[in-house]
Formats: sequence, C-alpha cells, structure tokens
Amino acid sequence: MSTNKNQVSEQPMISIRGVAKSFGSNAVLKGINLEAYRGDVVALIGGNGAGKSTLMKILMGIHQQDEGEIFIAGEKANLNTPSAALAKGIYLVPQEPMLFPNMTVEENIVQGFSEKRSELHTRLVELIKRVGWDLKLDRKADSLSIAEQQLVEILRGLLRNSQILILDEPTSALTFNEIQSLFKVVEDLKSRGIAIFYITHRLTEVFEIATKVVILRDGIITMEGPVKDFTQEMLIKGLLPPNAQEVTAQACSTEAGLDYSKLKPALEVKNLSGYGFADVNLNVYPGEILGVAGVVGAGRTELAIAIFGIDEVTGGSVKLDGEEITGMNVRAIIDKGLNYVPEDRHLNAIYGISEVSSNVTSGMLHKLGRLFINFKAENELSDHYIKDFRIKVTGRDQLIGSLSGGNQQKVVLAKTLATKPKVVILDEPTRGIDAGARVDVYRIISKLKEEGVAVMLISSDIEEVVQLSDRVVTMFQGRINHTFERCDINVDNLMAASFGVYRQEEKPQ
Amino acid sequence: MKKTLQKLLHGREISAVGFLIAMFLVAGLVNPEFLAPDNLLLTLNGSVMYILLAVGSSFVIVTSDIDVSIGANLGLTGAMAATLIRDGVSLMIVIPATLLLGAAIGLINGIGVAKLNVPAIIMTLGTNGIIRGFIYIYTKGKWVENLPDFFKQYSQLTLIGFVNVFLLITAIIVTLVYLYLSKAKKGKYFAAIGDNVSGAALIGIPVPRTRMIAFVLSGTFAALAGLVFVSKVGFVSPMAGNGYEMKAIAACVLGGVSLSGGMGSVIGASIGAIIMSSISRILVFLKFPSDWDNTITGILLIVIVVADALIQRHLSEKARKTRLSARTSAQKEAAV
Repeated sequence: MSTNKNQVSEQPMISIRGVAKSFGSNAVLKGINLEAYRGDVVALIGGNGAGKSTLMKILMGIHQQDEGEIFIAGEKANLNTPSAALAKGIYLVPQEPMLFPNMTVEENIVQGFSEKRSELHTRLVELIKRVGWDLKLDRKADSLSIAEQQLVEILRGLLRNSQILILDEPTSALTFNEIQSLFKVVEDLKSRGIAIFYITHRLTEVFEIATKVVILRDGIITMEGPVKDFTQEMLIKGLLPPNAQEVTAQACSTEAGLDYSKLKPALEVKNLSGYGFADVNLNVYPGEILGVAGVVGAGRTELAIAIFGIDEVTGGSVKLDGEEITGMNVRAIIDKGLNYVPEDRHLNAIYGISEVSSNVTSGMLHKLGRLFINFKAENELSDHYIKDFRIKVTGRDQLIGSLSGGNQQKVVLAKTLATKPKVVILDEPTRGIDAGARVDVYRIISKLKEEGVAVMLISSDIEEVVQLSDRVVTMFQGRINHTFERCDINVDNLMAASFGVYRQEEKPQ
Repeated sequence: MKKTLQKLLHGREISAVGFLIAMFLVAGLVNPEFLAPDNLLLTLNGSVMYILLAVGSSFVIVTSDIDVSIGANLGLTGAMAATLIRDGVSLMIVIPATLLLGAAIGLINGIGVAKLNVPAIIMTLGTNGIIRGFIYIYTKGKWVENLPDFFKQYSQLTLIGFVNVFLLITAIIVTLVYLYLSKAKKGKYFAAIGDNVSGAALIGIPVPRTRMIAFVLSGTFAALAGLVFVSKVGFVSPMAGNGYEMKAIAACVLGGVSLSGGMGSVIGASIGAIIMSSISRILVFLKFPSDWDNTITGILLIVIVVADALIQRHLSEKARKTRLSARTSAQKEAAV
C-alpha cells in the first residue's frame, strides 16, 4: 500500500482495457478496465455470476474476449491459448487444484517446460527452500491435502517465473492454519514484485492481504480503489444492486405473519452434519417460505441433497411431520412428502428428448396405473399444470428440450409438485430464466405457500430471498451463521451475513 | 484402507508378474512339461506380437482414449507387406512402407478423435470396419501365401543359441518406450492428459496434438506387429488380426494401464501381453479346448475393469468428501 505513490509513474504490469465478453445473448462482461502494478494484490469480489471467473479465464487464454485489449508490461498481448498466457508470465491457480493425481509432486510441477529435467530440479529445490515450504517432491499428488495441492499449483506458477498470479478463491477449501500460511506466501510474493489477482468471497481476507479492491457486479466494475479507502460496509454496498434497498420483505409488509406458536414444523432439521455442512438446525413450517442465503460453496446444495437422501448424513436428524426420515432413500422420502427441485435442471431435472407430459409425470409413474401407464390421467395432469403454470407450449406433446429456460423450469416445478409434497426444497428456482417466467415462478411459490406447503428456498439472488421469504437463514462455510425474522430481512443484512461479516449491534435501525 | 487400495493400483506390474507366475505354476502342476525351458522360451517368443500391440495401445489408453482398429490394422498392413515380399520387393522398402501405412491409419483415427471430437470407440470401430473391408478388396478374399522362406526364417533367428531376435528387438523397444514415457521431457504428456485433461491444457500441454500422436504410435505398432505376424505365420488370411484388439486392451488393463487414463506403464502392458498369449498355450497343455481362449480373455478384461472402477470410485468419493469437509472445518479451527 505504501508503494502506491512510486507506482504512479511506473508502467502497469497488466492493463485490461474495455474487455467485453458474451456467451450467446448473455453479456457476462460489459467493458472492464483494470490495471495491476508490481506487488499489487488486487482483490476481486463480486456475487455469483458477476463475471470474475470469466475475466480471469480470459487472462489465462481459456476464453477470448469479444472486445477490448490486454496489455502486458505495456505490450499488447494476444492471449488466445493457455500456452500464450503462460508465455506472457500469467499463471492461474484454479479454485479446485488441477493436478495429475497419479504423478509425483515434482512431475506435476515440471510438466510443460522446455528446460532440462536436471536444471528444473535444481531450480525447484532452490525455489522450495526460498519460500520455505515443507513439501516432499516424490509424494504422489493424490496423497496431498487440498492446501498442499494449492501450494503445488503456486509452485508451478513460480517455477515458470510468472509475474502475474491469479488465485481463484484459494482459501475456500483450506483450514484456518493453512490459510495463515498461504497469506505468508502471498505477502512474500507481494514483496518480490509479483502482481496477484485474488478472487474471494471472504471480505475479511480483503483487508488482511489486498492492496487494491475491485468489485464486480453484472459484468461491470462498480467500485475500485486502494484497500485503505474502504470499509466492510462499503464493500457490501458495492455488491448490492443499485435499487436493492427498495425491495421490501414479504413478511414485514403483510399485516400479520404466521403465528408460529400454533404451528408444528413440517420439516425439522436437528444438528445435521454431512459433507460440506455441519451442525445445521432449522425448521420449516407449513405455509412458510424459509429462505436460505449464502455464497457459492457455502454448503446450501450439499445440505439440500443430504436432506433429500442423495448424499450421506454423518450426524443429526431430519424429521418430516414429526417422523424420522434420516438416511432413507430418495424414493421413500418423496413418498413421505418431501421433494427437491435441483439447481441445474439440464443436468438433474429434465428429460430433454421427451414430451412435456412425460416430464410432468416422470416423478410419479408408479402411482399412475399399475402395469401400463394411465395415459388419460397423464394427459389430464399435464394439461392442468400447463394451464395453471402458464407453460407456453404448442401442446403437451412438445419436446421439453425445445422450450425456453423459464418454461422448462415450470415443467420441472410441475413434475416436482405432481408428487404432492408437504415440504419442497427449491434450489435456485429462477436461475437463468427470463423476467416473465420469473414472475410466474414467484406466483407458483406463493401459491404453494397459500396451500400450506412448507417451502425451503435456496437462492443466490438476495433480492429474491428478501422478497419471498417469511424467515431467512444464512449459511457461511457450511454452517448456519444467522437467522433473520420478518422485519430484519433486508438485502444489507443478508449480504453481510452471507459474507460472514454481519454484526447485530451495528445495524442502522 | 486408502493406502492399501492405492498400493494395489500402483503396484500392478508386480501383481501382474505374480499372476503370471501363479498361472505358470498351476499349468506346471497339471502338466510338468509346460515348465520345460524350451516350452517357456516358446511361450515367451509367442508373445512378441501381443507385446507390440499392447505397447501401442498403452499410448492411447494412457491418454484415456481407446483404439479398437489395431486388429484390422495388423491385418491390412500384414497383407500388404506379405504381397510385396512375395512379389520380391526389397525389405528396405517394404518395412518403411508398412509402418507408414499403419501410421497413416493411426493419423486418421487421431484426426477423427482429437480434431473432430468423435468418441474414440466410435471412430476406431468405424475405421476397423473400413480397413477390414479394404483387406477383402485388396486380397480379393484370398490368403496371401507362398512367401519366400528367407522371410519366414527371420522369426526363428536366435542369438547365442536361444535368444530369439524378434524377442530381443521387442525387449529393446519396450525399454526405450518405457524410458521415453517416464524420463523424457514430453513423455509424461500422455499420462498427464489421461489424468486430468483440463489441468493439462491449463499448463500449456498441446492436448489435441498429443492425442493424435498417441493414435499414430498405436497404428505404427500395429503395423510392426503385422510384420511379425507375416514372418511368424507365413501367410495372411483376410481375417488376420481379428479380435487381437481385445487381447491387447486386456493385456494393458491386466498390466495396470487404467482405462480411465493416466496410469500404467508399458512394462506392465508387456507382462499383461505375455499373460494373454500364454493363456491359449496353457489351455493346450491343460488339454482344455482352446475355443475358450477368447472367453477367458473377455472375462479377465471385465473382472479387472470392474474392480479398477470400484476402487477408483471409492477413492474419488473419498477425495470429494475430504474437500467438502475442509470447508466446514475452517471455522471450527478458527474458533478454537
């Protein structure tokens, strides 16, 4: 930070000018201008889908920008392949280390070099001594912890004499002590003049190691500057959409909320632990929407699929209407009255080359006739949902793959609700669908609530959570860190809690 | 548990040798003549062709592709070589021409798989059919025979009385390939791609080119095996090499070259090839109908692949769980 003044005259190590990128009709980056100097640690923060990863992949030559230019040390660079980016001294340490599990540490590091093996070995040994890490070179990569794998990735970059290092959420899979040692490494790299882009979801880390902050939202930079000019509250503000404050909580605006004293929870989760989440306690009541907010990797989907019986539960219990359903298989859980709408419909929810009607009934075929399918019932059911959910089709025999994303999502909802669940878990129900369909999905969710279904709504769209939920829990690093009731539900609070920096006493109200 | 499973996977060369010895001992118990030195040498000499095929295949399998056209490749290159030799063309021309034809077939496979993204099994199944058809057209459905004796005798040549020259050359080739794959700068590229293809691309390994080279090598080795076939068998039928691809793939898998890529060595594949070619010989000594040969190969192939897949799945599931658990443990430690 103190070097900022001398840098003014210096040439930026990397300068990104007007970079834009679209995938299909979806503009992910809309003109990014960004510079990094020697010894800069540029913290890149932003919500899900803000464009951080796309920007970094463009730097690494994995994607090509549609518009704009990138200059490295003042020279225009054509980064069309990863090798071109590597040659320019850029190295990306991916969020999930990309090692070769069947090779040793040394073999992993020296692949892709043109130097002699013996020279590389000497340089590598020197390098490890200089950074002072305890890493045996002849260990197989599949025996390394995630932290050690990350170190191997960083060594790869350093051995290539990379001058620009990209760290993509390096701490997301690290334990506390490992994070501390990683920070020492970053400090060391900083002092040796390497420029670092540091992508993170953890705002506290920004203040610990970054020199510069950049906030991305919807493909544009909304705020940037030296880290000393910022506070956590300012970062949270920068992450929020411009008119987000106006979104009011459903629960607070309705006259009277639910009277919880008279209700029994439909879904009771007690001390539930599993892979990716721990000690989760929550209740969902009939006729209530419980919002679950958090950043990517907070463990929300892992929690949902464990409740649904897909993934293993290591401790705690799940009760549905007072009845224990922990560890049951998915079929039994659906029959008991709990269903789940997965976050990736293409991967997990639609049968793309089947008709809409087959998709609607695919979750309940065993109830639709004995040996043969009762097609009359199937047709009635699909017509009912097509009309009710306003699914735009040419007929119930249209292939679902040919529908728009929003209409596909409605079919998925129909398929799930056709099993008449008492509890439904919606995982990102409006991801990638247009505004019109979004309104329809909201209408369907509200209707479920009126019918007395207990809804658990997992969403990364904070406004959506605020707008729909009666109560909200936020997950942070696999645990529920806060629960918000009625009038405390607002975008500021949820955003802060999602990033793990919510403090009750500092609330403005 | 994890350690032992990993050892089981990585020590595959050793367990393959163990399997080979056990197989020989059982055969020897039933019929002691099997263990006679002469017979053992013959068994070893008989495996040369399979070793060459397996070495070629291991390049492709290590990059996690597959080549099922090598049997037909052997048939066509063998038929061409046999015709040329019969017609008195110099070996100085025949040998390079044959290898070139094999390489060309491999190149076509490589372009289809690495450039046009046709799944390897489909691409090579297609070329397998095409080549098989060519053989019939080229030979008009007849055997290529009446080869000059000098060429047939090459397969009988020995050094210091008992070391077969073909076996010696094969051993040298296997050693060289082994050294290249494990020590050379670019030797590990094949394994790297099979191990983690996006990781390989990210550190600048030329993925499509390397995959193409693997297919070219696979084709070239099939042609080399074709030359050995002509010399050993002395004639080429239109069905020559039929089903050899299964033996070669089974040999690789048996020797620890994992079908999921990234793992295994040509030494292992060669041991696997010796096992594969011994099976039919052992069946004869056990007075078992040799019709069972392919059935046994198939069973072995499936058993090993299933076992590998189960172990592999267990390990990756374990890795996923550790990764997810690390996320929740960060907080716990911080709190302490």
